[in-house]
Amino acid sequence: MFETSIKLALTLSQIGVVMGVVLLTVAVLTLLERKVLSWMQDRMGPMEVGPYGVLQPVADGLKLFFKEDIIPAGANKIMFSLAPIIVLVPALIGFAVIPFGPNWTIDVLGVEFKPFVISDINIGVLYILAFASIGAYGVILGGWASNSKYSLLGGLRSAAQLISYELNVGLAIVGVLLLAGSLSLVKITEAQAGGFWNWFAFDPLPFPQFIAFVVFLIASVAETNRLPFDLPEAESELVAGFFTEYSGMRFAFFFMAEYANMILVSCMSTVLFFGGWHAPLPFLQAPGMFAWVTGIFWFTVKVYFFLFLFFWIRATLPRLRYDQLMRFGWKVLLPIALGNVVVTSLLAYIFPN
Amino acid sequence: MKLKKWIQSLIFYEILLGMKETLKHFLKYRPITLEYPHVKKPLPENYRGMLGLLRYDDDTEKCVGCDLCEAACPSRVIRVVSAEVPGEPTKRFAKEYYMDMTRCLFCGLCVEACPVDALGMSQEFEWAVYDKRNLHLNKEQLLAIGDRAFPEREKRLEFQHPNVAYFNVSFKDIPEKEF
Repeated sequence: MFETSIKLALTLSQIGVVMGVVLLTVAVLTLLERKVLSWMQDRMGPMEVGPYGVLQPVADGLKLFFKEDIIPAGANKIMFSLAPIIVLVPALIGFAVIPFGPNWTIDVLGVEFKPFVISDINIGVLYILAFASIGAYGVILGGWASNSKYSLLGGLRSAAQLISYELNVGLAIVGVLLLAGSLSLVKITEAQAGGFWNWFAFDPLPFPQFIAFVVFLIASVAETNRLPFDLPEAESELVAGFFTEYSGMRFAFFFMAEYANMILVSCMSTVLFFGGWHAPLPFLQAPGMFAWVTGIFWFTVKVYFFLFLFFWIRATLPRLRYDQLMRFGWKVLLPIALGNVVVTSLLAYIFPN
Repeated sequence: MKLKKWIQSLIFYEILLGMKETLKHFLKYRPITLEYPHVKKPLPENYRGMLGLLRYDDDTEKCVGCDLCEAACPSRVIRVVSAEVPGEPTKRFAKEYYMDMTRCLFCGLCVEACPVDALGMSQEFEWAVYDKRNLHLNKEQLLAIGDRAFPEREKRLEFQHPNVAYFNVSFKDIPEKEF
């Protein structure tokens, strides 16, 4: 009983810390995205609230919190209120299996405790993919329950898009799973220890997964509904897509879910292809006691690099047309991902570690 | 050549070029926008902004109530009610002068039509209001706009003219307009 309560308290505090960091990052990202985009477009971005607009997320949050919550006439009220929750919860729940630092096990009052991963389950990758698919239900339900043609079109587009691109995400990961021999994200990261030449994206033997990484990145941009694949919310065609009718906190939930998904996808590409918490060169990793400092540092750096890449792509590319999106997903990415699986498995058979 | 093109499409060459361009702008951050309410862009000299009625340097109105601005206006913004200057049957002035700025298209034809240059276009453009009725301006409001937009005033027309005798008035007693 004592052990169980200790374990519960430790896990709950760990969940609290991770959720806090993730939601804080979401708040930072809303500002960072607007700033980075405007710098790339020779603008200033938000400058009014606080010095250089750094308090903009606070103002946005307060505004959304006090806004009127409108449920449109003719909407299905239960589904309408449920949809934002179905979107947000899977986006946050995926962080349970992401390892943020070294895989240590410490002993707290006789209880084994892993400080840098909430739950090291052996099917981590599958778990994240499964919950990412549940998030799509929220989008579709939200679009359908709003009783609006724009929302419905946005929801339908997102359904088609998520189905076609989730396939590519799954297939791009297969190569990594073959090389690491495990679905646990901790084991996958540990298989990439050493310098950057051991990361799966660059590992020369048996086969570098860089092509798979590019496929994964493109498909995950499509999965998080970001530009250039933001057809579900195409503001020039569908007002705002599936959340056209949402306002106040419900809208904020969709917004937070989008950014949380971005962070989750960046964490996944860091862990799967770029060595997770490992430093790019061995001497950049602190030894012994302080390994976790550099571990978390390098993890954060990599994640933020991918988030910057998201903004960078958004600033560069225009939105795809619907048929282009589908053709690219099924006729270009899918064959590349399948070919990568075949080549990787053959080479992994020829050059076993 | 064909091989080169093939390789370029394989590595997303054009997208990479575009990303290089955006990164260049990101690293050499030189904003071309202004923080508008705090910093304002200098307007050209002939900017056609809010209309105002002008005065002479002795605080008398320039307007002689001739109605030419009303006739020139394509959007029927202006309404002038003209009247005689009391005690001076040869002189007229605008007893009432209304402008419906909700309709004005700032073409400046009224300013060109005015024979005594009584109308002026200021550089004001921030005239967004919560109530549309606030844009129906009367003579006092238009004079106030003219006063704050054109602090430098002309001499009375009688003194400006090289041949003062043309107006058949002596220097000493120039009749004052009284309202």
